[in-house]
Amino acid sequence: MSDVFGAESQDALADAVNAAKMATLGMLVAGVAHELNTPLGALHSNHDVLKRALARLQAILADETVDRTELAEVRRIVAALGDILKVNDLAVERLVQLTASLRTFGRPDRAQIDRVDLHQSLEAALSLLAHEMRDRIQVVREYGALPEVECYAQEIGQVFMNLLLNAVQAITDRGVVTVRTGTLDRAVVVSISDTGVGIAPEVLPRIMEPGFTTRGRRMGMGLGLLTAKRIVDRHGGRIDVQSRAGAGATFTVILPRNLATGGDT
Amino acid sequence: MPSLNTPTVLVVDDEEMVATALRNFLRFETPYRVLAFTEPETALAALGQEAVDVVIADFMMPGMDGIEFLRRVRESWPQTTRILLTGYADVENAIRAINEAGLYHYLQKPWNNDHLKLIVRNGVERSALVNELDSRLSALESANVELLELRNRLIRALL
Repeated sequence: MSDVFGAESQDALADAVNAAKMATLGMLVAGVAHELNTPLGALHSNHDVLKRALARLQAILADETVDRTELAEVRRIVAALGDILKVNDLAVERLVQLTASLRTFGRPDRAQIDRVDLHQSLEAALSLLAHEMRDRIQVVREYGALPEVECYAQEIGQVFMNLLLNAVQAITDRGVVTVRTGTLDRAVVVSISDTGVGIAPEVLPRIMEPGFTTRGRRMGMGLGLLTAKRIVDRHGGRIDVQSRAGAGATFTVILPRNLATGGDT
Repeated sequence: MPSLNTPTVLVVDDEEMVATALRNFLRFETPYRVLAFTEPETALAALGQEAVDVVIADFMMPGMDGIEFLRRVRESWPQTTRILLTGYADVENAIRAINEAGLYHYLQKPWNNDHLKLIVRNGVERSALVNELDSRLSALESANVELLELRNRLIRALL
């Protein structure tokens, strides 16, 4: 379908793709800010309690003697400190995971070919969408054994993000997103299914055309699939779509294991 | 050990680290009894078991959001002071919370502990005053009933 990218429309298309990226980014940043708030809120409060605890201990030690009442107070403080450190461990661990997920999507200037664990890319995208899905969407993982895949890690991360985002947005109320992985001959297969609104048959052939969208006419929307298709094309793979109106959709990404043997699917 | 008359604060946040941090601070810095929960349903069950003065609920919780939770608390235990904890500065939800849950305070994450302590202390006092008012009102009512009875007896005696 490279004929749809006429030379005269390349600039407009590039602008639109950038706008699509910014729209996705804006939404993700809001979600990530909220995800950060949980561990940060706990750490913020605990840090304050640590300062108060230190002040009390210093006050008790100030006169060089510790009586029985003070000893009981010291014990109480020490117990509280233990509780606080346990929560801080969890909070710090959460922050480390969150920044690791973000790193997968950063550094577009350093895009290079890597050997990638696709499950890690999927998990990174899922953790960034956790806020969007939270109490309304259940994620089912049916992961098979996958070899490491030679690809542009950033770009493949973006493909998963775009497909997962579409799946999430196709579900208007509550639903399920199922992620399946496996191998097929010399290719790896990742499919993302949703129980959302589905795609009408007359629309299905057009969904990967530039600018096609069912989400209003806002500039930059509807380019997620196009971007995903271009990236997967560049890797010598393809994206298949199955859907019926009202019965959800499944997007299947088929990638060659090895970029050098691209097209061998 | 808190006695039976110790004011009680109940905290509910689906994120355990937040529920625990709130509980740790309140236990460390206030004399109140603190109950912390990660599930709104369990918290409601606990409210049915014990007298609670102040309720702090997170806004974003799976199953039941904080506003719905506090609305139910208001319905069954109207004398409690209700505080909503939220990650958003969201006017629409703030208005909803005030109207539906009779909100006392709207606290934003990450919260300031001194501020939290002040709000909780004022909330405990508020609940105590409401309870006091309730018992005075019912005392007034029974006095009124007695007075009416007395009047009726007097009238009967005189007729």
